[in-house]
Amino acid sequence: MNPTLADFGKDVWWIVLIKIVAVFVFLVVMTLFTIWYERRVVARMQVRPGPNRHGPFGLLQSLADGLKLAFKEDIMPLKADRVVFFLAPVISTVCAFTAFAIMPFGPFVSIFGQRTPLQLTDIPVAVLLVLATSGLGIYGIVLSGWASGSTYPLLGGLRSSAQMISYEVAMGLSIVAVFMSAGTMSTSEIVTKQADSNWYAILLLPSFVIYAISAVGETNRAPFDLPEAESELVGGFHTEYSSLKFALFFLAEYINMVTVSGLAVTLFLGGWRMPFLPDWLNQGWWGALWFTIKVLILLFMFVWLRGTLPRLRYDQFMKFGWKVLIPANLVWILVLAGVKTVNAHAPQQRWYWIGGAFALVLLAAIFWPSKKDSPKPTLEQEVAARPAGSFPVPPLDLQVPVSPRAQRITAEREVV
Amino acid sequence: MSLSAYIPIVGLFALAAAFGLFSVAIAPFVGPRRFNRAKLDAYECGIEPTPQPIGGGRFPVKFYLTAMLFIIFDIEIIFLYPWAVSFDMLGLFGFVEMVLFIVAVFVAYTYVWRRGGLDWD
Amino acid sequence: MPELKLPDIDYAALLPMLILFGAACVGVLIEGFVPRSVRNMVQLVLSLAAMVAALVFVIRRAGEVTAENAATIGGAIMIDNMGLFMEGALLVLGLVSLLLFGERTLERGGAFVPHAAVTVGSERDREQAVDSGATEVYPLALFSLGGMLMFVTANDLLTMFVALEVFSLPLYLMCALARRKRLLSQESALKYFLLGAYASAFFLFGVAMIYGFAKGVDFRAIHEAVRGSETSPTLLLIGLALVAIGLLFKIAAAPFHVWTPDVYQGAPTPVTAFMAACTKAAAFGALLRVLYVGFDGAKWHFTPVLGAVAVLTMLVGAVLAVTQTDLKRLLAYSSVANAGYLMVGLLGGNKDGLSSTLFYLVAYGFTVIAAFALVSLVRDADGEATHLSRWAGLGRRSPLFAGIFTFLLLAFAGIPLTSGFMAKFGVFGAAIAGDQTWLVIFGVLTSIVLAFPYLRVVVMMWLSEPGETTPSVSIPGVLTSAVLGIGTVATLLLGVLPGPLLELADQASSFIR
Repeated sequence: MNPTLADFGKDVWWIVLIKIVAVFVFLVVMTLFTIWYERRVVARMQVRPGPNRHGPFGLLQSLADGLKLAFKEDIMPLKADRVVFFLAPVISTVCAFTAFAIMPFGPFVSIFGQRTPLQLTDIPVAVLLVLATSGLGIYGIVLSGWASGSTYPLLGGLRSSAQMISYEVAMGLSIVAVFMSAGTMSTSEIVTKQADSNWYAILLLPSFVIYAISAVGETNRAPFDLPEAESELVGGFHTEYSSLKFALFFLAEYINMVTVSGLAVTLFLGGWRMPFLPDWLNQGWWGALWFTIKVLILLFMFVWLRGTLPRLRYDQFMKFGWKVLIPANLVWILVLAGVKTVNAHAPQQRWYWIGGAFALVLLAAIFWPSKKDSPKPTLEQEVAARPAGSFPVPPLDLQVPVSPRAQRITAEREVV
Repeated sequence: MSLSAYIPIVGLFALAAAFGLFSVAIAPFVGPRRFNRAKLDAYECGIEPTPQPIGGGRFPVKFYLTAMLFIIFDIEIIFLYPWAVSFDMLGLFGFVEMVLFIVAVFVAYTYVWRRGGLDWD
Repeated sequence: MPELKLPDIDYAALLPMLILFGAACVGVLIEGFVPRSVRNMVQLVLSLAAMVAALVFVIRRAGEVTAENAATIGGAIMIDNMGLFMEGALLVLGLVSLLLFGERTLERGGAFVPHAAVTVGSERDREQAVDSGATEVYPLALFSLGGMLMFVTANDLLTMFVALEVFSLPLYLMCALARRKRLLSQESALKYFLLGAYASAFFLFGVAMIYGFAKGVDFRAIHEAVRGSETSPTLLLIGLALVAIGLLFKIAAAPFHVWTPDVYQGAPTPVTAFMAACTKAAAFGALLRVLYVGFDGAKWHFTPVLGAVAVLTMLVGAVLAVTQTDLKRLLAYSSVANAGYLMVGLLGGNKDGLSSTLFYLVAYGFTVIAAFALVSLVRDADGEATHLSRWAGLGRRSPLFAGIFTFLLLAFAGIPLTSGFMAKFGVFGAAIAGDQTWLVIFGVLTSIVLAFPYLRVVVMMWLSEPGETTPSVSIPGVLTSAVLGIGTVATLLLGVLPGPLLELADQASSFIR
């Protein structure tokens, strides 16, 4: 009933072709829709109508914008490295599209009489493919910044790549727990396992939280949209890009949002299955609907974050990734592995083990040496600590004598 | 399990690449061309841009450090994945080995932390 | 659920390595948490304790080796008598040279720079001149030594490669940490790193070739493939040549020796001593295992080639040593020449060759550590005064140290009553027994050539008048004195009473395949 790894790679060539085009179209339409969706939702949050001129509810707004971009002048800066400048947006786009190849939309359906899973393909290392393509996608960004021959794009590209690799580590660690529970990296089988047990978002809540945070960082979205921090870097890595090249970056960015949302749905939120529904509603083409709905809800979260939170400072952001997410993740993996091992090997004494470990952690927390701040130096000490030959500074409590003119005026007032 | 399951990935890759290349290739021909020397300069407020890596400029070494840390942790993740997938099979032995491995990585991590390698100033 | 076959791990046999690696990890944590003021002391004590503990477990293991319990971790590590001897030798030599690392009385803050990455000559660089030196060298040295133990006991080429990297990478780093002559130090580290990376790549490529030939990388499989193979040996010869290049680089055999003088000169002197003694021993231990265990069936193929390399090494080392004006470079070329003599013993191809090589490694190690310890004593305002002309008349100024150095140089030259004589006698004898007389002829000839630069130093020290620029010999601290004492006494003892060590080496000279 449920698709397994063995069911893939058996489609006829024209089914494969149909599926490829379908995934492609799905992503492009999702991009156009998401741009409109984002603008409308943000507008509602800010109590204004948002785009509503083109088509019903302004739905065709992003299509019009896209077409307009195509007819804009294509500028290649003089200092740019021409080949790399040309290729960078292509790298971004290709990686963004390819990542979606393993996303499961649903169970078996019948397309023109052919029984086939509603998923382009599945491989034993499916999730790795997503990570690999998102890792390669960073090349598009850092190369575009590098090749522009301009300061803002360079800084934006570097920041962006530093940020994405930092959060990629957190993201990669957060899904280890999923693999541990599912025992596989194939997306369709992970979905099946969640139907047997429960959503991993519930079972592995810390992992899900970390994944959600790092997904926002990974896609350069607010409040982590530092590569494009307008007030600092103009447009970030794509400052020098215009016309369709710019459109490709835009496309890639939105597809990445859809991909991380789709991956979150697949790994943590039960995939294309909707709970509490009769069986016939969890079959066939219905899966695609539930999948899309879940993805749209997650995309709404992205927009909500953007509408609510101010942007972080870059150092706070990196600190958060490296000093909080990664160690927390590693500890969580160890705890989970420990609990699982104890459950498997000594189920009777498991509470002793878990209690013992808990007590140990508690003891460590109690007796952890608290950091004592050294007493603040007094003014005299600070002045004395200054190296010899420093510029003379007047004492901070200096009494400035009142000017004679002011004295005279006060005196005159008193006389009157 | 044959390699045929990988073919659709190549197909999607090819379609995306064709789309991307087509877009960047036709962009100069579809749009208008109105020459203006100022457009071709780097986006700066009327000043000379700072030296770029292309011309032999430099950028902060901090980024290299982040990249190296990324490599360390990415390799750690690469080791964690096979272990996680076959976690049930490896049992206690695998758990102990992985604890040792993670502790070893943690040692390096604490060192980097204490030495300020994770601070972004 | 499919069953996984887990390898047996004999933790008792691996304990020396585990102790070293564990102590190194603790050392890294100490770097993070212990206050700077006591860090050097804590690290030194910890490293020494770890090495002593490891040595104790090596000795305890010595009687228990049998053909059954030697291989562990699925045959990846082979702790046989030979491996144990090498482990012990490495630990002893490492222990002695580590004492040099801890010396802080000769120079304020020790021989190492606090921050190696600071731009040379910058404001920041001048500020750190008086700071206490980097104590990371202790964990680095422990990692390196642990890797060496693994290197000499590795029983397949892949484990050997991993060990090669584990012991090389810390060495590259340590080379860049000299407090004085920063640019030379950084240059040496970069050179060593780049060339070392090339050599590792050669080694790995050779492993791939041999895997293609033998369908396996462990020495038993290679041995059987070499013995029984009907196929053409082309892959074997290419693979063996590439693997040999990787190892010959580490032992500094010509024409792969070019890094040696630069690195020996630029690296901090304690590190130079450590490298000269331990790296050479580890690399020879591995080379012996590769050639005697894995490829003994291909002896007819490799002996002439390696013989030519040995002759070239001896010639290059001896002739270029004559032209040197810097003492550290002179010792570097002498170490190149000594690699040649060691290869003569190795190519003897018999049990005597094995045992004499082992003896040579230990004897040479002690002498060279003591020699570098003495080099670190002769100083002026710019740090060590290593130019030969500066040593003129040193015998008048401080006859004791000049006397010790003379004795060490005589040991290098192979004069009777020193360990050098017994060592050379052993390897030449083994080569004659193994029908490699031509190597011995070259060995004796180059020894005569090599005696010249040594004697020139001796003559300079004793027969010249001390000039204005003759530097003073610093009073060594406890640690350096200990190193000097141990090195000199060992050199003398092994020359006068070589019996016990020869016997030990003789017992150890058997591999388990």
